Amino acid sequence: MHSNGFFLNDVAGFLGGYYAFIAIMNGIAALVLWRKKDATTWAFVWSVFAGIMMIFASLALSGSKSMVPILPEAIRGLVNNLSGPVLYTLGTTAILVVLYVFRKFFVQPMVAWTVLNVSLLLLGLSMADENFAAIVMKPDNVPIVGLVYLLAFFTWVATKQAVVNDERIKQGLPVIEKVNDEKVLVWPDLVYTELICMIAVSALLLVWAIFLPAPLEEPASSVKTPNPSKAPWYFLGLQEMLVYFDPWYAGVVLPSLVVFGLMAMPYLDFNKKGNGYYSIEERKFSYLVWQFGFFELWITLIILGTFLRGPNWNFFGPFEYWTPYKVEVLNNVDLPQMFWVQWLNQPLPRAPQDAGLLSQIGYILMRESPGLLVMGVYLVALPPLMAVTIFRGFYAKMGFIRYMVMSNLMLLMLTLPLKMALRWTLNLKYIISIPEFSLNF
Amino acid sequence: MAEKKKMSVADILAAARADKQSATEPEKPVIESEAVASDVSDNSADESMASEVPEPVAKPSVSKPGSSGRPSVQEMLAMARANKAKPSEGPKATPKPAAKQPAAKKTATAKPSPVDGAKKNVQRDTASILAAARGGAKPGPVSKAEAPAFSKPTAKPIARKVAKTPSRPVPPRPVRPKQEKASKTAAADDRRGFLSYTVGSFMAVGFTALSATTGLFSLGLARFFFPNVLAEPPSRFKVGSKEGFPSGVVETKFVAQYGVWVVNADFEGIQQIYALKTVCTHLGCTPNWLEAEQKFKCPCHGSGFYKDGINFEGPAPRPLERYAISIAGDGQLEVDKSKSFQEELGQWNDPASYVTA
Repeated sequence: MHSNGFFLNDVAGFLGGYYAFIAIMNGIAALVLWRKKDATTWAFVWSVFAGIMMIFASLALSGSKSMVPILPEAIRGLVNNLSGPVLYTLGTTAILVVLYVFRKFFVQPMVAWTVLNVSLLLLGLSMADENFAAIVMKPDNVPIVGLVYLLAFFTWVATKQAVVNDERIKQGLPVIEKVNDEKVLVWPDLVYTELICMIAVSALLLVWAIFLPAPLEEPASSVKTPNPSKAPWYFLGLQEMLVYFDPWYAGVVLPSLVVFGLMAMPYLDFNKKGNGYYSIEERKFSYLVWQFGFFELWITLIILGTFLRGPNWNFFGPFEYWTPYKVEVLNNVDLPQMFWVQWLNQPLPRAPQDAGLLSQIGYILMRESPGLLVMGVYLVALPPLMAVTIFRGFYAKMGFIRYMVMSNLMLLMLTLPLKMALRWTLNLKYIISIPEFSLNF
Repeated sequence: MAEKKKMSVADILAAARADKQSATEPEKPVIESEAVASDVSDNSADESMASEVPEPVAKPSVSKPGSSGRPSVQEMLAMARANKAKPSEGPKATPKPAAKQPAAKKTATAKPSPVDGAKKNVQRDTASILAAARGGAKPGPVSKAEAPAFSKPTAKPIARKVAKTPSRPVPPRPVRPKQEKASKTAAADDRRGFLSYTVGSFMAVGFTALSATTGLFSLGLARFFFPNVLAEPPSRFKVGSKEGFPSGVVETKFVAQYGVWVVNADFEGIQQIYALKTVCTHLGCTPNWLEAEQKFKCPCHGSGFYKDGINFEGPAPRPLERYAISIAGDGQLEVDKSKSFQEELGQWNDPASYVTA
């Protein structure tokens, strides 16, 4: 901890306003619930919470550093020690799975409100920590905090409608979208809404630009790379992918495949249901594949790259100081090395000094044979195998070409989590490693 | 008055016809025709013109405006006059036919060929002649040249009357005066088509110009890749004598200027001095030398290299590259950046890639 005395004084004012905001938010919620008459218990709960937040606000504004509410040191230390890329990835996956499985519970407004309040409270308590605040309150990273909450909100709204629709479909009722089939005109209804949104967003951006100026850095130099060196936030998922792959694959092939896959999606989809209304039950496969690709393989990687990757692209706990001298054991080896040297106990097949090009290629192919075999099985043998087993129904409905495109896109998408898992468990660098021709996979 | 200028002759004729048929303002036509009579009587002194008058009067019964090409000015005028006479004959008689008929007759009896007006006052255009034929109070559009001749205040615009007409006849197709011009002046055609004759068509001109510009631009761009002056540090530079590089030390002071680490370390059993290129073999960032951990560490994706440049962690697929290094004539070490050596290609065995310490 590199705490200087000024930090808490600086952040205390912000935290005071922050807690007061939560208090007002909950006070309004309590008032609305009270007026409804059917949720007076919740109204009571939120008014009490609002009171507590008001006390927090006054503590933060009290002027005494020791009074600012903060997460206990022990908890922060524990979080730092436990967190790592493996736990983060598995943890976010687990959270998403829990949210999905118990979605009927989580779509209840009061549950969602509770989750929101808990997360806001934890954020406030964490921001009293200097290292946490330095990352979260950095002007570059503020949008990512907004992104987390916005994504959570919109996913929640959509899931709520899907849950309601699924329940109605089960009961044989028409979906909500059919019931509330009120037509709205583009002009003036939509265009006016868009105009108002445009003005509001412009105003927000203006205020934002004034109060959170972009952090300007020193002039660029080809021999000096900032540490940590981060891509723009929307490419941080890509940067995280690059940790596990050669640039041509993670930087060129995979992003192109993402775009291509998104374009191919409507042509691959044979499920006519769910058209024009929210539903999860009727489109389970599409829903899960999409949400996995979007949340787990893109959003969580952006959050990881923004908040948890520090100097030298090392992983840092949320309350950890970003020192460039952190030592992490990340040694890794290629599959051929593993296969020939570690398992067969013999040197790598290597062409003699004066061998011709063809002979060299032959030796390289022999050296890489285990990796080529693995990839061959994965990309060539697996799709037909899946067609006769788990995707039997899909294959029948989609036909050969559509099925092959779909299965290959899915398998290529899954190379990322698989490679991550292999790196963490076996310290595997590349499955196929041909540095002679810059071909590594 | 402004919109009157745009009205074609046929429109004016149609409007004139409608005027006579409509019974909205019976008195006005009378005044107009009288005015015409008075206006025309000034010109009637010209005897030679009088003989021509009967001719146009006879014509309108035969030709409809617009049906047979473009009627001549005389025909149009004749038509206008004939139409004026119509209301008296037609079944839809106006409330005051008596007032009109004399006026029409007056025009006829006075034998006022507007043509002679046109001859006398050459600046008059067709529309104004027609207007004059209809009534002096409405002389039609006045051009700048004829403005002094028509200083009389004008009455209500005809266009408004047209809008009011209850049963308007189908207006004949407007005639384009341009066609007439074009047919009259064939020489002008030749002049304008000059470029077409020379290069084919205007599209060809455009595309030829476009290709020429693009070609020149590409050439200029190609030239851009061969600058006259290269503001680059020399590819060969001296870094000092061997003694300046003690064993096991990574010299980082040449990074900022030359992008080179000069290292004195053991590689495959040989103590050697070599120059490592400061470019990560993963995506080209500049790694940092971490003295405490004795490794090069890239800030972009966490690739790590040992002191000898061999990659051991992170995604870098191959070791750092070496530059050529040698001992110059004066005994100093000289690094040559124009040549590089890659370990995975077995080039580090090349004696040019190191100097034995």
